[in-house]
Amino acid sequence: MIRIENLTKSYRTPAGRHYVFKDLNVELPSEKSVALIGRNGAGKSTLLRVIGGIDRPDSGKISTDKTISWPVGLAGGFQGSLTGRENVKFVARLYATQSELRDKVAFVEEFAELGKYFDMPIKTYSSGMKSRLGFGLSMAFKFDYYLVDEVTAVGDARFKQKCADLFKARHKEASFLMVSHSLGSLKEFCDVALFIGRDNKVQYFDSVDEAIEVYKVDEGI
Amino acid sequence: MARSGFEVQKAAIKALFLREIKTRFGKFRLGYLWAALEPMAHMLILLAIFGFIMHRTMPDISFPVFLINGIVPFFVFSNITNRSIGAIEANQGLFNYRPVKPIDTIIARAILEAMIYAVVYVLLMVIVGLAGEEFEVTKMVTLVLVWVLLVILSCGIGLIFIVVGKTFPETEKFLPILIKPLYFISCIMFSLHNIPKDYWPYLLWNPIVHVVELCREAVVPGYISEGVSLNYLAFCALVALFVGLALYRNREEAMLTS
Repeated sequence: MIRIENLTKSYRTPAGRHYVFKDLNVELPSEKSVALIGRNGAGKSTLLRVIGGIDRPDSGKISTDKTISWPVGLAGGFQGSLTGRENVKFVARLYATQSELRDKVAFVEEFAELGKYFDMPIKTYSSGMKSRLGFGLSMAFKFDYYLVDEVTAVGDARFKQKCADLFKARHKEASFLMVSHSLGSLKEFCDVALFIGRDNKVQYFDSVDEAIEVYKVDEGI
Repeated sequence: MARSGFEVQKAAIKALFLREIKTRFGKFRLGYLWAALEPMAHMLILLAIFGFIMHRTMPDISFPVFLINGIVPFFVFSNITNRSIGAIEANQGLFNYRPVKPIDTIIARAILEAMIYAVVYVLLMVIVGLAGEEFEVTKMVTLVLVWVLLVILSCGIGLIFIVVGKTFPETEKFLPILIKPLYFISCIMFSLHNIPKDYWPYLLWNPIVHVVELCREAVVPGYISEGVSLNYLAFCALVALFVGLALYRNREEAMLTS
């Protein structure tokens, strides 16, 4: 369970303070995957990052006893001049014990299928290769919740299939907090939904279909 | 995955340390050797310029020994503090991983710099020793203590810089300018004795002067610098650390808020 209490989040802009959320109260039930639905700029990713503890709210509290991943497929933490293997090792040192280190690196090496590129600097990678590495890295660790922010299009067709299979397998034992504009994948992976409307009001729905209906009405499509 | 806060921090510092050392030296032939070679080359050039070309000499102390004990500690200080100023922006991507906190980046870097320069210091002293310069490490304990206090002082100032630099981004422009002049007033190119006693109070507020002169005292038996005190250095280091930690504790959340 993730409980969000009195959450307020704003950004300072040249035009004054922009409030994304004001006094948000939501409780996300245990072992349910949550779809975050809303238009561009509604604050879906911000909410995801705040829940994941990567960004901090102005006030309010997020309480949970579950482990939450970093955004799946994140490439921002990579150091370009280091090799794929070294970057994976860095993250593994943060999240795993010394004894698991070798397994984690082996998992990513096998999953990402980068071949000899795995031992070359990341700055030589194409964006597809970077996503493969990022995705494999996220999946190497077991979390209760995975933060998924638009990660549907990774690599070529075969690799996409591989990702989807692993995703489904992981879905059985973990939950997702998912942002996607592909409504199909939200329906496939999520059980409940948070809808962020035009007035920045956040509504909780027990079914994804219901939330999508409301979203379509709100957007007039 | 339930680890204590201390274990998480230890893992983060270790990971950052290894990442840093690889980023800086991993890509070269000879690899980590450059960690020591680079600052050593720097020192040797300065030694060549001041010692052999300008024929500077000092009473009571061999000039290369004198210079090494001035420059090496100063570089430790300036490297740790300078890199703290923009540390948040430079490491922004890393804070996506929750175990990494800004203070860990400073600690990891401080450990790395201290280790590199400790090795450089020993190597240089051995080299000038073999070249026939006279010195004798008489106060080993003081020397080690001074180094430890130097690193604590640098971490404290670094923490203050990281907070100030993030809270007031404009200061990133002039904080480095504040450090540069210290090079000229920290007794690196001169000894405290060269200055008339009346002016000592203008120099002795600076803890780096104490570091430098105490190091020289520790390795050259005949070199005595009145006026410097280990107690004052310890006091400065602990005050800097306290202020740094207090500011950091207060602002950590705010620094990670975008």
